Order: sequence, then C-alpha cells, then structure tokens
Amino acid sequence: MSAGAKPAARPRRWPNALGRSSEIRILVVALILSAYFEMANHDFLLTGASLENLSQFIAPVAIIACGEIMLMIGGEIDLSAGMVFAFAPFIMHFANEAGLPAGLALLVGVLAAGLVGLINGAVTVYLRIPSFVTTLGTLFFVNGVTLTISRGTPVSPPGDANFAAFMGSWGYSEIIWAVAIAGVMHILLRHMRWGLHTIAAGANPLGASEAGIQIRHLKLGNFVIAALLAGFTGILEGFRITSIDPLAGGNQMMFLAVAAAVIGGTPLAGGSGTIIGGLIGAAVLGILNDGFTLIGINAFTFNMILGAAILAAMIFNIHAVRLVRKGAR
Amino acid sequence: MAKEQEDLGEVRNTRRGLLQGAGLTAALALLGGAMTPAQAAEAGPFPAHKRWKMVFVNHVTTNPFFVPTQYGIQDAAALLGFDYQWTGSANADVGEMVNAVNAAIAGKADAIAVPIVDPKAFDQPIRRALDAGIPVFAYNADAPRGSTNSRLAYIGQDLYLSGYQMGERIASLVDSGLVALFIATPGQLNIQPRLDGALDAIKKSGKKIDAQTIATGPTVNEELSKIKSFYLGHQDLKGMFAVDAGSTQGVAEVMKESNLPAKGVHGGGFDLLPRTIELIHDGFLDFTIDQQPYVQGFYTVLEAFMFLTSGGLVGPANINTGLKFVTKGSVEPYLNTQTRYEGKSTTPLIVPRTGPIQG
Amino acid sequence: MSEASEVLRGENITKRFGAVTALDGVTLTLKQGEILGILGDNGAGKSTLIKILTGFHQQSSGQLFVDTQETLFRSVDHARSLGIECVYQDLALANSLSIYHNMFLNREIIYRGPLGLLNNRAMRKRAAECLEEIGVQVPSVDLPVEQLSGGQRQAIAVARAVNSNAKILLLDEPLAAMGAREAGLIIDLILRLKEKGGLSIIMIMHNYAQTLDIADRVMLMQRGRVTYERDTADTSVAELMEIVRREYRDMRAPSP
Repeated sequence: MSAGAKPAARPRRWPNALGRSSEIRILVVALILSAYFEMANHDFLLTGASLENLSQFIAPVAIIACGEIMLMIGGEIDLSAGMVFAFAPFIMHFANEAGLPAGLALLVGVLAAGLVGLINGAVTVYLRIPSFVTTLGTLFFVNGVTLTISRGTPVSPPGDANFAAFMGSWGYSEIIWAVAIAGVMHILLRHMRWGLHTIAAGANPLGASEAGIQIRHLKLGNFVIAALLAGFTGILEGFRITSIDPLAGGNQMMFLAVAAAVIGGTPLAGGSGTIIGGLIGAAVLGILNDGFTLIGINAFTFNMILGAAILAAMIFNIHAVRLVRKGAR
Repeated sequence: MAKEQEDLGEVRNTRRGLLQGAGLTAALALLGGAMTPAQAAEAGPFPAHKRWKMVFVNHVTTNPFFVPTQYGIQDAAALLGFDYQWTGSANADVGEMVNAVNAAIAGKADAIAVPIVDPKAFDQPIRRALDAGIPVFAYNADAPRGSTNSRLAYIGQDLYLSGYQMGERIASLVDSGLVALFIATPGQLNIQPRLDGALDAIKKSGKKIDAQTIATGPTVNEELSKIKSFYLGHQDLKGMFAVDAGSTQGVAEVMKESNLPAKGVHGGGFDLLPRTIELIHDGFLDFTIDQQPYVQGFYTVLEAFMFLTSGGLVGPANINTGLKFVTKGSVEPYLNTQTRYEGKSTTPLIVPRTGPIQG
Repeated sequence: MSEASEVLRGENITKRFGAVTALDGVTLTLKQGEILGILGDNGAGKSTLIKILTGFHQQSSGQLFVDTQETLFRSVDHARSLGIECVYQDLALANSLSIYHNMFLNREIIYRGPLGLLNNRAMRKRAAECLEEIGVQVPSVDLPVEQLSGGQRQAIAVARAVNSNAKILLLDEPLAAMGAREAGLIIDLILRLKEKGGLSIIMIMHNYAQTLDIADRVMLMQRGRVTYERDTADTSVAELMEIVRREYRDMRAPSP
C-alpha cells in the first residue's frame, strides 16, 4: 500500500510497451528480419509462392511450441515431441490399413500420441522423475517403436485428395491449422481456469496447492496436450509432403519448438508463458530459415548463421528490456 | 525572335537530354562493372548469359561422400557461369528437403537438382517447379519404377544393378553362413535398391547364405558403432557388406580392428571414402564400388546448362555415372592421387596416365 | 470480558507425524470478533496447529468445534466452506499473475456456459472494491504481484482471504521479514478488519511487542503444548519473556 498512491497510470509511450511486453518485442524482431530479407531477396515475402513457402516453415514449429509452452510454464518439458511427431502418422496408417476410414484413423493416431503423453505425465508426476529425464527416455523408446513398426520404410498417407488437402496438403492448410490451434491454446491459457491454474502452479507450486489447485491433474493434462499436438503436427506434415517417414521431425523439430517458445518469451524455468509469443517466435525461426535459404546460404555455413541469428534475436530481446527500463528512470 | 527562342529551348532540351543520357549511361556502366564479372560470361563458344542459379538439394548435406559432388558442381558452375546453392537436410529429413525445393521455386531458381529419396514426397514439389518453368533433375537417387514423378532426367548410378553385381560378388566370395548387409537408412531410394539387388543376386546364386539386413543410421559415427556391436554379437559371421559410403567405411574399420580377413571373413561396399580406400590397400576390405560422385554433380550442371541454353530443346537425358569395382589390385592410383575428383584435395589437377587401359 | 459467542474451539488436539508428536493436547478457543495471538519458537507446533485448523491436516486425536458444532474437516475446501481462511507465510501468490487473478485464485468468477471462460471484468471490479473496502491501496489491480512491495503482497494475500467471505481468518507470521513502516501498515489493516466486524482472527507471531499491541488474547506454545494463556491487557512483554527463559534454563540444566 503506498501512502498517497497515484491512480493507475497506463504507460502510453511505445518504448514502455516494448519493455513490458515480450510479444511486442519479438514481433519487432520478426518485422525487422522480414524487412531485411525482403530487401535482400525480393521473393521473400510478397509473392504467393513465397508466402506459402514461409508459412510451411512456420506452422509445424508453432503448433508443437504451443504444447511445450504449457509444460514449460510448469517448469517441465517434453523432449519426446519430435519422436511422437513421427510416431502418430504411422499409427494412423496402420489403423487405416486395418480398415478404419481415414478420418477415424487420424483420430486413432492422435490418441496414440496422447497415450505417450499420458505415460510422460504419469511417470513425471506419480513416480516423481524429472520430466527432462522421463521424456528423454520416451524419446528413444518411441523412436524405436516407430522404426520397428515401420521397418524403416516410408508409406503414403491415407484418404482421398480432399481429405489430404484439408489436413495439410493444400499450401495454406497447415498455417491455418497452426493459427487456429494457437488461438484455442491462447484462450485456454489466458481465459480459462486451466491455463490460469497452470500459471499459478508454475509460479508458486506450494502456494497453488495451498489454494487448493490440483497441480498433478494440471501437469498430467498438459503432458497429454503437448503429445496430442506433436502427433497432430506430424500427421499434418505427413499429408503436406505426401509421405509418412520414420525419420521425419526428430530432435531438430523439438529443439526448434522449444526455441520458438523461449524466443517468444516463455522462460525455461517456468512461472509464466505466452502462446502468442510462441507463435511469433516460430515465425522468427521460420523467417530466418526461409530467408537464409532464399539468399543462397550453403548447408555447411547454414547452421552457423542460423545459430548466430537466433542469439542476436535473443540478445536484442533481452537487452531491449534493460535499455527501456534504464531509459524510463 | 520567337523562333530563336524556340531553337534555344530545343538546344537546351537536347543538351539536357544528352546530359541525362550520359549520366544514365555512366551509372549503368558503373552498375555493370559492379555486377559479377560473369555478366558477360565467357563460357567458351557459348554467348554471354546471366548467371544462372542452380539449387542442389541434398539429403545428407554434411556427409563426406558428397564432397566430390560439390567439387564437381563448383567446377562445372565456374566453367559455365552458374551460381549454385548446396542445401537440404543434414539427417535425411524429407520434410526439410521439400521445404528446400519449395524455397528454390519461390526464389525463382533457374534449375533444381534433388536426389529422390522418398517414393512420393517429391512428386508434387517437382511438378510445381516444372509448372513454374524451372527444370528439375534427379541425381544420386531416382524415383522408383512406375512412379509418376516428372523429373527431367536422372544422373547417377543404376542402383539396382550395382546392388545385384555386388550380390554376385558376395556369392563368389562366401559359400555359406551368416552375411551382414548394412544400410544407413532403409527404404531410402538412393540405397534401398542396391540392397534389393544384392539380396536378389544372393538368392539367385542358390548358395546357403543367411543374409541379414541391419540399419546403421545416416551419420558416420553412428554407423561405426552399430556395425561394431553387430559384429561383437555375431562373431561367427562370414561376411560384412554395406550399401552406402559411411557404412562401408565402418565395415572396413571393424574388419581391421578385429583382423577379420585373417579369420576368413570377407567385406565390401560402396564409394571411395579416403579411409575405405586406405583399408582396401592394406588388405582389410575386399572391394568397393565407385559411383563416381564427382560427375553426379558435374554432369548435372551440364545438363541444366544445355537445357537453359537451348531453351529446353536439347537434352536432358539420363546419365549412368557408372559402377566400378575397386579392389586391392586396382586401388593404388586412387590412393596416390590427391585430386578434387575423388574429393581428397581441393587443388585442381591433370592426372597423368600411361600404359594400356584395362577394360 | 464481553460475552461474545465462541466461533472456534479446539479441544485436546494431538498430532503425530510418525514418531514425532507435533501437538500434544492443545486446547484453544476463539471468540467472535477477537484477535488471538499465538507465540512460540520454531518447532513449538504453531504451523501444525494452523494447518489443522484450516483442514490441511487432520488431527490424530481431539475435537474441533465450529460455532459450537463439532466438526471434522475433510479438506481445505471443506474448512473454507465453513468460513475458515488462512494466509500462509509464503502468501501463496503467483508472481506473474495479476492482483485480481491472485485474489480469486481457485475461486474465479466465470461466465456461464460449457467453456467456463474467466470473467475478468467482474473479477477486476470485485477485487478493486474489496481492496477499497479494507483500505488497501495499489496503483491498479492489473499489476502482476511481483511488482508489489512485501507489505503490499501481504495485504493482497489478506484481502484474498477476506474476499472469500472469511469468518475466521488465520494469519501465519503476517509481519515476518517486514520493516517497521510496512509492518505498521499491515497492523493498521488487521485492526481495520477487526473494526469492520464479522471477522475473528488468529495470528501466529514471534514479535512479543507487536502481538501485545494487536491481539486481545495471547497464547504461548512450547514443544507442542500450550504453556500460557492470558488476555493481553493482563500481561506484559517481560512476563512472556520470563516464561520462555524458564524453558531454556530447564532445557540446558536438567532438573536433578
């Protein structure tokens, strides 16, 4: 209680907004990068083909990031996401081979992914194994299962052309799914008790349980959500490239998703999170990836430059806050 | 008086125009000088053309096997006035490769080359590229027979045949017993056909050979570990063979480590990684098969060049980059020459050769 | 002594955790509208007692009476439904969440319908009203609590309990780690709450002077037992300290 408190003064100057909202900061980074790449290569953004292409870089990372964010808020992580990504489409394939129509087979594939999430959650919550370790184990296990049931050979996704178009093979289908899912997850996080309690449990587990929040249920549920999203993304990608491949996704995809979440403003240590930030973070990664490819950077130097760019984006992100805070004094 | 003024006006206009024109020309000349020199590319007898951009997508961008391929691309590109980009996936992720092809289309590349390592995934992207007027060539791996893939030509080894001939060689070296066949990434179209060919040939030979297939993974370190473990678990095997470069090197290393030739075990594989050649020379590996990666890059650029220069009227045609068994008897020159063509050095060379050519 | 009705009584409360006896036959009474201060060193059993009174633990033996009705608390929610609220030492605040979200934690106002969307507007309004009623000043209820000072955070935690229609308020070390000025503000808040009426308060404290200033009655706990109980008007800091010293002397030199 401040004696003689002033009434609420909402800061209207943009530097303050920059300092307070991580989403706005990372959006600024995304815009700067887009402008740079558009200048360097005029096919980056403003043609139909390039926009579609860019969206396909962004979409899968964005969806998986949504799931990771819910877990990271609670101080957990799902390292097996990239492997569940490859696993679920195969389950869908086998369900379809067993006679189920494509739509139902898809559902079975997603549910199988959810089962992995349930295992991740149960082991972490009830056996009290740190999620890093749990999901590291399921990472290898699920990968092995995928390779075994697929015998290492890629297959075609089920269903007819319309079904496939809806589920990812039409150019903009994936990004529309990504935005829709991000929208739903944002509402879940910010406008429903589930999300609010997840944040409370992440910020102060002891306090949240004292308030009567069921932390275990939340964690379990969030592990399932993360796995469902990872599996669904794998299925979308399988339709996009018209091939279900046991080597798809993998750890690279998982790292990109976690990176997108962190770049977007969700700290690894937990306690807070932003879905919108994750979406923009995925956009930044996609812009970097696509932009550098279009410029013509070769594979050997590619990762070097990508890594440096990510570092630069994060440094800007973090120091922009400090600069603004200093300036505001 | 009025006419004088008019004339004056005209002269002024003309002068202005001339000045403007001169300025513009000067600017253009400067710009022209600033552009890359091959703007007026001297590609021998061919007329000058803009620097064409060719995108090479690859499935294992960092795998040493493709180093000579990149040299081949570089040399052809320098010769013919191309810029090239080497991109794709480092660990055989088809999604990444498709993204790279799409980026090439969006970036309006002049030509694209991609190994078709998945039976279906590249059909649509290649179709889209062709629809956008970009020629697409397959190198190193081709679409399976009966596929609807519309790539213009394939430059590489006849994979099934090479595997079949390896299988025949295996049947001639091993009479019966356990034979391990190592493959980096099963199902992938640049190596699976070899495996299929080998298995068919072994079966055809009628010998009592138990051929087991083992997957070793797309990176060289993984491959070595897997091969080692397999050997340690099956020390009674009679032969270890591989269908890709990394696994072949792994087999050679394991043969040396455990001194397997002395125990009557045979080994062989594909491609001329430096270590593989050394170990053939030292007698630890029976043979390797050269698919000549340098020309997989070199010829592909040439094909693209012919297509672009002739407006699509000339070429493209499939090119079989060959299948050559290299054994201890013939490995010497490979060992001693350090050339770009085998990827062992970056310096370009003319390699002298004398004496009759063994057919 | 006013004949105020009894709102809470614990009779012979014992709590064992395995071989350890945390509470040994504790009896306490809380009358309507009064402030009871509980003093004692670490390990005296104060926190355990609070946890039993709030339904977090169940006693090993002994009875609890709420408004003279014997009750067994099934859970924290059950105790809450009877009007018993607690503010723990760690305040149970989620740092990144706003003041109003914290005030309604696990008791959020939602829109009707299948989704159960949060009604942020209603919560904001109600939170601002509540803070105003009890005289707590903050720049805006939208601020995340991590931006508040220690005293403000304590006030928010207390406000949350009040907002939940508490009839009995338990405060676990409300003035811990607070400088004089902030402590003064919280003391004012507590006294204002008492004045408002309808609330009875138990406070765990360790500062004797502050306790005697605020509480109507004081209870001293030592090693799981109540060793002293008096109206604050009838005792003094010196007397309390003497009793505590006696215990130390007893422990250092075992009686022959």
